[in-house]
Amino acid sequence: MKKLTYFPGCSAHGTSEEFDKTVKMVMTSLDVQMEEIPDWNCCGATSAHTMSESLAYALPLRNLVLAEKLDNSTMAIPCASCYQRLKVTKVHMDDNPELCKEINSTVVEDGIYQGKVDVKSMLQYCFEDVGLDAIKAKVTKSLAGMKLACYYGCLLTRPKAITNFDSPEYPMSMDKIVEALGAKATEFDYKTECCGASFSISNTEVVINLTGQILEMAKESGADAIVVACPLCQSNLDMRQPDIEKHLGKKIDLPIFYFTQLMALAFGMPEKDLMFSKHIVPVEGALANIGKIVPEPEKVKKTRKAVEAESEAE
Amino acid sequence: MARVGVFVCFCGANIADYVDVPQVVEEAKRIREVKFAIDYKYMCSDPGQQQIRDAIAQHRLTSIVVAACSPRMHEKTFRKALSDAGMNPYLLEVANIREHSSWVHQKDKKAATEKASDLVRMAVAKSIANEQLHEISVPVTKRALVIGGGIAGIQAALDIADARIPVVLVEKSPSIGGKMAQLDETFPTLDCAQCILTPKMVDVASHPYIELIPYSEVLELQGFVGNYKVKIKKKASYVNFKTCTGCGACWQKCPVKVDNEYNMGIDKRKAIYTPFPQAVPNKPVIDAEHCTMLTKGKCGICAKVCEKGSIDYQMQDEIIEREIGAVVVATGYDMWDPKPYEEYGVGRFKDIITSLEFERMVSANGPTNGLPLRPSDGKVPKNVVFIKCVGSRDEAKGISYCSKICCMYTTKHTILLHHKVHDSHAYVFYMDIRAAGKGYEEFVEKAQVDTGTTYLRGRVSKIYKKGDKLMVRGEDAQIGQVVEVEADLVVLATAVSAPKDNPDLARLLGISYDKYGYLSEAHPKLRPVETAKAGIFLAGCTQAPKDIPETVSQASACAAKVCGLFAGDTMKKDPMISTVNTEYCSGCQNCVKVCPYGAIVTDEVPFGHGSKELRTVAKINEGVCQGCGSCVAICRSTAINLAGFTDPQIINEIVSI
Amino acid sequence: MITLGIQGKNTFLSDVNKRSGANVLECYQCGKCVGTCPVSGYMDFPPREIMQMVKLGLKNETMMANSTWFCLTCSACSGRCPREIEIPSVMEAIRHMAIEENYINGSTKVKEIRKFHEIFLDMIKRYGRNYELRMMAEFNIRTRNLFKDMHLAPKALLKGKIPLGVKPMKSAKAIQRMYKLAEKLEKKHTGKEA
Repeated sequence: MKKLTYFPGCSAHGTSEEFDKTVKMVMTSLDVQMEEIPDWNCCGATSAHTMSESLAYALPLRNLVLAEKLDNSTMAIPCASCYQRLKVTKVHMDDNPELCKEINSTVVEDGIYQGKVDVKSMLQYCFEDVGLDAIKAKVTKSLAGMKLACYYGCLLTRPKAITNFDSPEYPMSMDKIVEALGAKATEFDYKTECCGASFSISNTEVVINLTGQILEMAKESGADAIVVACPLCQSNLDMRQPDIEKHLGKKIDLPIFYFTQLMALAFGMPEKDLMFSKHIVPVEGALANIGKIVPEPEKVKKTRKAVEAESEAE
Repeated sequence: MARVGVFVCFCGANIADYVDVPQVVEEAKRIREVKFAIDYKYMCSDPGQQQIRDAIAQHRLTSIVVAACSPRMHEKTFRKALSDAGMNPYLLEVANIREHSSWVHQKDKKAATEKASDLVRMAVAKSIANEQLHEISVPVTKRALVIGGGIAGIQAALDIADARIPVVLVEKSPSIGGKMAQLDETFPTLDCAQCILTPKMVDVASHPYIELIPYSEVLELQGFVGNYKVKIKKKASYVNFKTCTGCGACWQKCPVKVDNEYNMGIDKRKAIYTPFPQAVPNKPVIDAEHCTMLTKGKCGICAKVCEKGSIDYQMQDEIIEREIGAVVVATGYDMWDPKPYEEYGVGRFKDIITSLEFERMVSANGPTNGLPLRPSDGKVPKNVVFIKCVGSRDEAKGISYCSKICCMYTTKHTILLHHKVHDSHAYVFYMDIRAAGKGYEEFVEKAQVDTGTTYLRGRVSKIYKKGDKLMVRGEDAQIGQVVEVEADLVVLATAVSAPKDNPDLARLLGISYDKYGYLSEAHPKLRPVETAKAGIFLAGCTQAPKDIPETVSQASACAAKVCGLFAGDTMKKDPMISTVNTEYCSGCQNCVKVCPYGAIVTDEVPFGHGSKELRTVAKINEGVCQGCGSCVAICRSTAINLAGFTDPQIINEIVSI
Repeated sequence: MITLGIQGKNTFLSDVNKRSGANVLECYQCGKCVGTCPVSGYMDFPPREIMQMVKLGLKNETMMANSTWFCLTCSACSGRCPREIEIPSVMEAIRHMAIEENYINGSTKVKEIRKFHEIFLDMIKRYGRNYELRMMAEFNIRTRNLFKDMHLAPKALLKGKIPLGVKPMKSAKAIQRMYKLAEKLEKKHTGKEA
C-alpha cells in the first residue's frame, strides 16, 4: 500500500470532475491511498502570476505548507496548471530561502514551509512511482484497436529545469502508459504545442486557432481519439471542438479522454462510472474500435517478418 | 656589492592603467642594492632594450630586474638584451606585474601598485643571488612523428619529408585521407576533393622519407624535445600487407554486411574491407568486431578465396617503438551528433540528414551515384531545406562557438544540389553568413544568384511531418514573419566538434586542451601551431575548426617548425636543471619516483674517499631534466639543487617581503 | 525613425534583467522564439523584437506592447532558446513593471485579458477557489458581452460539464489575509510603500 497526498485543484469540482473521479478509482485499484490536502485553496493559475509576483507564490505556498501536515513524501496533482504553479513555487522556495521567508510570512498562520514534500503531476506519479508493469498487471480489458494521440500540452514537461520530467519536446510517458493498456499511440508532432490555456474565455479566437491546429495534426496522425492529462487542455479541445470544426470548415470528431479514464476502462471498471456522458464530443465511435484490430495483410506480414529476422541476425 | 638595475614597463596601458608605474620605480630606488631604476612605455621594444643595454654599461650593473609581463612572453627577449650588452643572460629576473598584478587587480590601483612593488622587491632580492649559467647542448633525433593522416597530417608529413627528414605517420583507420576523402567538391573553387587529395595520398605512400603506419594508434610518449620515444599499437589487420595484392576477391566474397562508415552508413561494406576504392594503402583489413570467423569461428571464406594466402586469423596487435625528435598532432575533428535537437525530430524523421551524409550522396563515388535521395522512399527531392548552425552557436544544446566552415559548405551544397537536380529548390535558414576568406564572399554571391536559393534569416523552431513532407517552421526576421517550408529533404549543417579521443591523447602527450576538447596552442596569436610542450606542434582542426586552406597552411607551418628544430645536430637547452650533491644524497630514491620526465636514474659511488664499498645515489640526466623542481621539493636531505632557483635565491625572495 | 542619441546607462535594460533574472544582452536575434511562440502572430512585437527593444532602451514602446499580455508562459521559447534566456520571465517582468507603473494598453483584447485575470483573482480572494461558471458569467457581464459562449451553455450545463453547485472552502479568511500581506510585499519591492 502506497500513500499519496492529493491536490485536486478547482476544476476537479467543476469541468474535470471525471478526471478527479477516475484518478481516485484508478489509484484505489493500484493500491495507492490518497489523502486530500485539508481545506486547500486555488493555486492562482495563470492569473496570479500574470498580475502579481507575491500572490503567484503565496497561493501555492499555502497548499505546500498544508501538505506538509500530512505524513506523505509525495504529492500528486492531476491538473497541469496547478502542478506547474506548485512545482515552480517549490523549486523557487527551495532555491531561495530569503524569498521563501518573505512569502511564507503571508501564510504564516498555516505553518512554516520546510520543503519536505515532492510535487509531481498525476501523469508523472503513474509513470514513475506506479510504473508500467503495475499498470499492465491491472489490465483486464485491453484497449487494443484504439489509436490514440497523446497530448501533453505545455506545462507537464516544461520548463525542463522545473519539471525534470520526460522530454519537453517529444515526451513519451503517456504514450507508454496507453500502450501498456493495449492501445496504439500515434506519432503526433503537436503533442507539446500550447492549447491557448487561460485564453479560453478572454481570448477565444486564439484558443480556436491553436486547438484547431492540434486537432488537425492529431487527426493527421491517424488517431481516433486524443488523450490528455490536463483539465484545461481537455475543455479547450472538447468543449470548443464544435466551434473549431466551424472555424476549420471540416469535421474533426475526436473525443478527448483523460488518461485515467482509459486506465479505469482497461482495468475493467464499468463504463457508466467513467462519466463519458460529460464529454461534448461523443466517445462511442472511438470506444467501438476496441477489439477491432484490422488484420495485417499477408504481404505486409511477410515483409515485416523478413525485416525482423534480418535485424535480429545483425 | 651587488648593483641591480630595475626596468619597469607600462605595457602600453595594460600595466599603467592599473598600477602606478612611477611609484613602483620610486619604491625600487629605495632598495639598497638598486643602483638604477627607470620606467618605459614598451620595455620589450628596441628603444626599451637599448635602455637596458646602456644602463648595464653606464652603471656597472651586476643583475637586472625587468618588471613587465609574464616571463613566458618576453624572458628570452630580455635575456638576449643582457647577452648583447656582454652580461650573462641568466642574471636577469622578470617580475610579472601584468598577469600577477595589473590584470587581476583592476579595481584597486593602490593595492595593485603595492603588490607590483613587492614583486619587484622579491625579484631584486633573488637576482642578487643569481649565478652565471650557460646553455646546455643536447643531441637531436631527426625524425618526426605525425599523428593523423587527414589532409593536415598528409601535408605536414610531405613537407617535412621533402626536407629529407624521416617521418613516421600514424593513422588510426585503415586508410589515410581523413574527412577530406569523403568530400565531393571543395569551396570556393569547386575542385574535386578526390582529384586534389588522392595524388597527395599516393605521394605519402611512395615517399622514401615517410614510414606510413595505418590502422594504428599512439600508446605512449616518453622523453623530451629532440629525444622522444614513442610506442605505437599496430592493430591486427588479419591481412598480410606484404603479400596482399589488393585484388579484392576477399571482400567481394565476404558474406557479412556492416554499415559503411565512409558513406555515413548510407550503404553497407563487408567485414573485410578497404574503406574506399582510392584508399592508401589499398589493402583490406578485417573488422574484428563483425567478422564471424573471428567472433564465432564460422566462415573463413576470405582465406579460401585469397590466392596469396594473405589472410591470417591468428594475427595479434603489435607494439612498435620509434625514436623521434618532434611530434605533429593532426587528429582532425568529429561531426557533432544532432540528437539533442528533439524539436527537429532528429532520429524520428528519416528525411533529415546531416551535411556529411548529403556530401556522400552528391559525391561522384558515393552510395547513390551522385544523386541526393530521400532516405525514406528513395525519391529525388525537390524542395531541400538547409539549416545552418545546428549545434554551433548553441550553448543550450551544442557548443557556443561558430564552426567556421558550415556557411561555406552549405553554400557549396546549394550549388551541388542545383547541379544534380535541376528542378530542385534550396532554402537556407541562417543566422549570419560568415564568408571571410579569399574568394568566399564572391562564391556566396555567385551561388545565390546562380541557384536562386531562398535565404531565410532565422533559426528553425520546429520540424514536423505532414503526409510525406517535412514542415520546417522558423521566423524570417527579414520580413518579421513566421514561415513554413514544405520540404522533401532537410540537411542539417552540424557543428564541428573536437575528436572525442583528444583529451586522452593530450594526457598521453603531456599537452593541454580546452573545455571543448581542442588541443591548446602555446599562444593564440604568436605561437599558433606550437603547444606549451617543446617539440609538439598542432595542425588542422584538432586545435579549432578550420577550412582546408587554413589547415594546409598550418600543416606547412608545423613542418617549418620541425625543420627549424632539426636544423642543427644539437639543440640548445636552458641550464635551469637539477644537480645532485652526492655527499648529501641518502639514496632514498624518492626523487626518482616523483620525476615526471624519467630524468633521474641511480648511480653507485664509493662510501668514502678511497672506500671500496659502494652506495646508491641519484643521478640526473641533464638532457632529460626540464627543471620542474619536483625532486628538490621531495629531497629530504637537501641534496638536490635547481640552477636558477637555488636555496639562497628563494630565501632571499622570502626575506625581502 | 528612432534616434539613438547620446544616452546614459540603459536603466530599463538593467531593471528588466534584475527583475526577470535573465540577461537580455545574451539575445542574438535568431528568432527561434518567434517561430516557436504559439501566439507571436498576435503580438505587436514578437519576443525577438521585445528583446531588441529592451536592449535599445525603448521603454515606452515595450511597456505598451500587447506582447507581454499575450504571452501564455508555455515556456516553449525558453526551452529552445540557444542562449538559454528565460523569455517568459522577461515577459512577466515587463508586464509587472507595466502594471506597477501604470502603462495601460488600451486595446480591447488586452483589456479583456486583464479583466479576466482581475476577476479571477477577485473570485479567489472571495472564495479561495475558482468557480468556473460564475467566472464565465462575471467575465461576460464585466466585458459587456453577455452572450459570449452562450451557445455552449445548454450543452455544457446539460451534460454537467460545468456544474452549477460548488464546494466552498472553509478558511477563505486566510486567503484574504494572504492577499493583504502579499499586496504589502509587492509595494515594498516597488518602493511604493506609504
